[in-house]
Amino acid sequence: MAEDRFDAIIVGGGLAGIAAAYRLAQEGLEVLVVERGNTCGSKNMTGGRLYTHTLEKLIPDLLQRAPLERRIVKERFSLLTPSSGTTIEVDSAKLGGLYANSYSVLRAPFDRWLADEAEAAGVMFVCGVLVDDLIIRDGRVCGIIAGEEEMEADVVILAEGVNAQLAQKAGLREELQPDQVEVGAKEVLSLDQAVLEDRFHLAPGEGIAWIIRGEDAFGPGANGFLYTNKDTISLGVVTEIGKIPSAQHSMVELVDLLKEHPVVAPLIAGSKTVEYSAHLLPCGQGAILPRLCGDGVLLAGDAAGLAINLGYVVRGMDLAVESGLLCAETVLKCHETGDFSRDALSSYETAIQNSFIPRDMERCGSYAAQLGNKALYDDPAKLIDVLTAVMQG
Amino acid sequence: MNILVCYKIVPDEQDIVVKPDQTLSFDRAELKIGQYDLNAVEAGVQLVEAAGGAVTALTVGGAEVDNSKMKKSILSRGPGSNLAVKDDSLAGADSATTAKALAAAVKKAGEWDLILCGEGSSDLYSQQVGVQLGELLGVPTLNGVSAITPGDGCVTVERTLEDEVETLEVRLPAVLSVTADINVTRVPSMKEILGAGKKPSTILGSGDVELPAGRAVETTSLLAPAQAQRKCVLVEGDSDDKIAEFCRAIRTELQ
Ligand SMILES: Cc1cc2nc3c(=O)[nH]c(=O)nc-3n(C[C@H](O)[C@H](O)[C@H](O)COP(=O)(O)OP(=O)(O)OC[C@H]3O[C@@H](n4cnc5c(N)ncnc54)[C@H](O)[C@@H]3O)c2cc1C
Repeated sequence: MAEDRFDAIIVGGGLAGIAAAYRLAQEGLEVLVVERGNTCGSKNMTGGRLYTHTLEKLIPDLLQRAPLERRIVKERFSLLTPSSGTTIEVDSAKLGGLYANSYSVLRAPFDRWLADEAEAAGVMFVCGVLVDDLIIRDGRVCGIIAGEEEMEADVVILAEGVNAQLAQKAGLREELQPDQVEVGAKEVLSLDQAVLEDRFHLAPGEGIAWIIRGEDAFGPGANGFLYTNKDTISLGVVTEIGKIPSAQHSMVELVDLLKEHPVVAPLIAGSKTVEYSAHLLPCGQGAILPRLCGDGVLLAGDAAGLAINLGYVVRGMDLAVESGLLCAETVLKCHETGDFSRDALSSYETAIQNSFIPRDMERCGSYAAQLGNKALYDDPAKLIDVLTAVMQG
Repeated sequence: MNILVCYKIVPDEQDIVVKPDQTLSFDRAELKIGQYDLNAVEAGVQLVEAAGGAVTALTVGGAEVDNSKMKKSILSRGPGSNLAVKDDSLAGADSATTAKALAAAVKKAGEWDLILCGEGSSDLYSQQVGVQLGELLGVPTLNGVSAITPGDGCVTVERTLEDEVETLEVRLPAVLSVTADINVTRVPSMKEILGAGKKPSTILGSGDVELPAGRAVETTSLLAPAQAQRKCVLVEGDSDDKIAEFCRAIRTELQ
């Protein structure tokens, strides 16, 4: 390999990017991940629930080795009014199949661990560098530009997350419009492990996923989520950008309002905020972009619009991993022929279409719609089915 | 000119959590290179860029000095090689112990003309290690250095004092501690980061260098300052009335 030429360059060291790079390095390709954060995981945010099925394909003993917080065994769903609320609990065993294994995670330790695994498999990481632009010759993506530097590769995988600027430069995405994104804010609250397990009736290692449908109970159009970690709680809100007048400031207030709500306050009593973060996320059930590749370039994860957001349930991590892995499979095939044209890479689009991703994205939207159906509440069995389907996002 | 730059690996202050009993938790803290040390590294790299020679990065400490990310991080900033002394007794060491360990390590660093330190470590900030190291090595030693120009067998340095700039010619070998405003540190480029992994790094232990026995200083407690209770009195507006109300409130409190 020449100093500045790689088989593949991946922009973005989130789950999609690391998964793609890891898989390629396993097969001996020279791959470079460029991440703007100082470490992988430092710029990444999530609510907290990872369905592990896709990562388990990459790392079969993931559940034994990864820094997972708690295995989710209980699902709770609360509907709030400004002064009270009602809560339904469902046993997570209801979710079977692909969704049998899910864990609460914190991205900073989790992504860093995954990146270390990938590095050990041969992936090269450059952190603390922002990719500004792509090298495009005759419509073909040939590499990346960061500051004064250029780096070339047979193929570039854009795994740059929801605000995918480079995907726009590659002509694969339009600029994000305010009505296409929502914003989420989250606090990580520390709580003594024994107190936490007692309060949520959890055995060691067990966790809860708690979805809070707020509507206007604690902020205009805001919904919330709560996930238990080892000795912390992830508590956050999601709302439409248009509904918050001055983004940063009032997101903090929204989280505060949720923390003060009578249903939530006792759950977090005595805890201390140890982390605050905010992040954009795609709206609604999301839509897979019409094109996921061009000449010399592929999109993965949030950058490709592969996420489900029902407002209270957000799910994108396992989709990000799956798309990263499918990118890698396509690149491996193209690596054999040396053809990285859009035509050759389009087997990735087919693979995505044949995966669980579009199926789940569609199904979730339809279940969420059923929650508004009053008749549902006369039929507990059906209600539980719909709720479990919704919880799984 | 052969230059040794000293650096310390410290917990990232933004990840340090103050616990309810005012003690500090470093559990979530990532490691980083002390930010003032980065100025020393940059100064060293600029000197060899101007006058030729080589820069070696030098650190002493506990297990953290063997962290591959830290090695890559220091080497991506320009030094050609890295030399570290690792021993459990050096984890969280005081200034005197650190200076003695560095003096021992310097003996293993080959020929050198100049040793550069930052103005203080990012965590303890005692501003002692540079001057103590110079004393132990018996060479000219200055701190508060805000500019260095290479000369023949010497360097010309500036020290920015209260209301004057002192210019001094210092014979080499010497130990200098540089200020945080001596330069703007560089952000490593992709190629520098990729190249860092290929540069040599040597880790020595107690078998290779003579480490100081015992410590001069013992830490008896480390606490965050107590949080003051805020009164949460808000006076909004800028009318004369409001300003008077604001002043009244402050006066009452001060009485
Ligand atoms: C509030 C909230 C709650 C959520 N809850 C859940 C949940 O419970 N479960 C779930 O499965 N999903 C959840 N999601 C969604 C999930 O977090 C995302 O779908 C997932 O993180 C997408 O992964 P990714 O790798 O595509 O992107 P990201 O994790 O966003 O990674 C993109 C990376 O690219 C880097 N980057 C971007 N541009 C550049 C550039 N130009 N140069 C260099 N680096 C660059 C970024 O720094 C970042 O590290 C939630 C999201 C939010 C916001």
